[in-house]
Amino acid sequence: MSRRSWLWVVVFGIGVGALVVAAIDDGTPRTNADRAYDVANDYACPVCDGQSVAESDVSIAREIRREIRTQIDEGRSDDQIRDFLIGSYPDIDLNPAGTGITALVWIVPVAALIVGAAALAAAFRHWSVLGETADARDAALVAQRMAERDGGPPGE
Amino acid sequence: MNGQLGYFFVVVGFATSVVAAATLSLAILTGRRRVLKQALPYASVLAISAIGAFVVMERALITRDFEVAYVARVGSHATPALYNFTSIWSSLEGSILLWGLILAGYIMVVAMRFRSRLTDELVGWAMVTLFVVAGFFFLLMVGPANPFETFNPPPGFDGPGPNPLLQNHILVAVHPPILYLGYVGFTVPFAFAIAALATGRLGEGWFVETRRWTLFAWGFLTTGILLGAWWSYEVLGWGGYWAWDPVENASFLPWLTGTAYLHSVMVQERRGMLRVWNLSLICATFSLTILGTFLTRSGVIESVHSFSESSIGPWLLAFFALVVTVTVVLIGTRGALLASPGQIDTPISREGAFLVNNLLFAAFAFVVLLGTVFPLIVEAVNDDRISVGGPYFDRMTMPIGMLLLFMMGVAPVLPWRKASAETLSKRLFWPAWCGVGAMLFSLMVGARGVAPVLAFGLGGFAAGSAARQVILATRRSGWRGFVGRTNGGMIVHLGVVIIAVAFAASSSFVRQGEFQLDVGETATLAGHTVTYLGLEEIEHAERLEIRALVEVDNKGVRTPAISLYPSGSQSIGTPSVSTSLVDDVHLSLVTLPEDGTPPVIRVTVQPLIVWLWIGGGVMAFGTVLAAFPGRRRRGTDPVSSPAALEEVDV
Repeated sequence: MSRRSWLWVVVFGIGVGALVVAAIDDGTPRTNADRAYDVANDYACPVCDGQSVAESDVSIAREIRREIRTQIDEGRSDDQIRDFLIGSYPDIDLNPAGTGITALVWIVPVAALIVGAAALAAAFRHWSVLGETADARDAALVAQRMAERDGGPPGE
Repeated sequence: MNGQLGYFFVVVGFATSVVAAATLSLAILTGRRRVLKQALPYASVLAISAIGAFVVMERALITRDFEVAYVARVGSHATPALYNFTSIWSSLEGSILLWGLILAGYIMVVAMRFRSRLTDELVGWAMVTLFVVAGFFFLLMVGPANPFETFNPPPGFDGPGPNPLLQNHILVAVHPPILYLGYVGFTVPFAFAIAALATGRLGEGWFVETRRWTLFAWGFLTTGILLGAWWSYEVLGWGGYWAWDPVENASFLPWLTGTAYLHSVMVQERRGMLRVWNLSLICATFSLTILGTFLTRSGVIESVHSFSESSIGPWLLAFFALVVTVTVVLIGTRGALLASPGQIDTPISREGAFLVNNLLFAAFAFVVLLGTVFPLIVEAVNDDRISVGGPYFDRMTMPIGMLLLFMMGVAPVLPWRKASAETLSKRLFWPAWCGVGAMLFSLMVGARGVAPVLAFGLGGFAAGSAARQVILATRRSGWRGFVGRTNGGMIVHLGVVIIAVAFAASSSFVRQGEFQLDVGETATLAGHTVTYLGLEEIEHAERLEIRALVEVDNKGVRTPAISLYPSGSQSIGTPSVSTSLVDDVHLSLVTLPEDGTPPVIRVTVQPLIVWLWIGGGVMAFGTVLAAFPGRRRRGTDPVSSPAALEEVDV
């Protein structure tokens, strides 16, 4: 292997290593305030237009934030608090459910991307078998273009 | 008086658009080319009437002429002069008026720019399309969104003034016009695309003619979106700048398809391919501006920004349907002409990378569009009310964003037609080291978590790739290495990377806390100390402002405030931000003291926020550089063909 190939291996090694460190080292521990903020961000304020509980300053949103903080201080887990919120207020989950018709919002984009990627791959395969030589038609096209360029009508 | 005069201008604008569109299209169809020269006078009359209507509305606002219903709704004697001036775009009818003014301005400039070629059918059909669009917006003002409706004010009447949120930050004066310059600007390339379809002249002509127009619109849209984010950060109290709100999405959607278009036209220019795709992209971009306006102005989707219910929804939807139908029919009937002559040899090439880029941008736009309208779909299907919010968009768009960053690193080093492993290994070598360097640096300063660290790494990779191109170009041709599409584009890429890194850092490492502090008490959050020093009240003409005095890091006193407006029942918070290149401390006053309890102060600490705005500036600057001509190369030059023949011989 050439020297550059070795250095590429080193680059990949360092990159993967950095990601592993980033994944397993938790860094600074999360505080209760961080937990409360994360939970509040995932739920819509029940009376606002499109703001989350964390964003809104109307009284019901402040009330819910206080409730989340209280429950965290009481030692309840995030999941318990989330269940409580969904049970207490209808339709506030900003993460659409993965069931029923709602699941489509998750599935359709992924399916569309897969179909798009497959179509692109098929197009590349189609092009690759078309061959690479220029035929008489191409030569005629080039000649026509050159003629247009050297004194054809203005426009294109 | 103002009401009648303004309405007169609106009617003249509408009539001019209709007459112009009819005359010009008739002239083309009957072959009387000389008549096409009338486009310039028509455009002038349209521009004069749009300016006239705008000036009359400003005059009505400045003189507080409450006989104009719009002024009675958004005007007030108490509003400061600047915000009184900007209140023209603070509500629905006025913002349509601004739309009409900017569109009329574009049409005027197009007519002047192409005045020597107005008799050309391509330009002719483009002018017809522009006048039809203008006719639609003036029709809105003649009918359902008439800004000059009259009102009979009782004696001593004073209006409420604009929404309080729209009168406490200078960005209100710049964000809407700049955003509209971008939004409306896409009408020009759209018009030329329609003209290309109508004339059947589907070669390179139409998009080369409009390249700078598209770039201009795109640059303003980019700047407008970022200024909107900045406004939201400085004015709304929640400490963020992007909430995937329907209005934000409505501006972001055409940006995504427009960005895809800017890249994919290069494939058509070089290889003559993707004709249908490029036409579809620019038509989609224009349609999305109309659809976005429909979604946010019709009341069908709830949003903090959207203006209240109005009757223009069905009109916008009908116009959207018309635009889509015309485009689809035209593309359908031009099928044979649209067949592309070229082919792409391998995915590992510049054109292959552009195709992948387009797939990703299309997927991005699809996710944003689907997420925005999905609650409507579900409600229509089974009457359920669901929310699709930030967490959904974050999760779905993050992988696409990462892939785009990766492509930004790879694509600029790829040659056209074909790349060898050797070339890639050589050209990507330093960008890859920039990437791992960025990852190691981010770990060193305490970043954790796979997603942000990977984003920093890919950002470094893309930045290295962009910098490589600019360095090579400036070495080769001095200062000219900064201008032209490729080099300016790389400066834009650097701006995008700065924003991507700032976005990843600020959203991954945001810390927020709410504190109730007694006077003199100190709280600590993410290494910053905030000390509450007390309240002060300031009386303004239009409001009572109550400020909390908060010392941040012993470096200075910030004053998050709440303003109480006599007319509105709501109280409006005004945050205060302590900015540095490393991180921002964003303070907002959530509640005033009640029954002896101290006020609630929200403190949000986010790293690298200021780099969002710096990155925006770099993008705008890069766009300007890209608009300057670089090395000249005509679209018809057969640059690639000889190379291919040689390769075959080998």
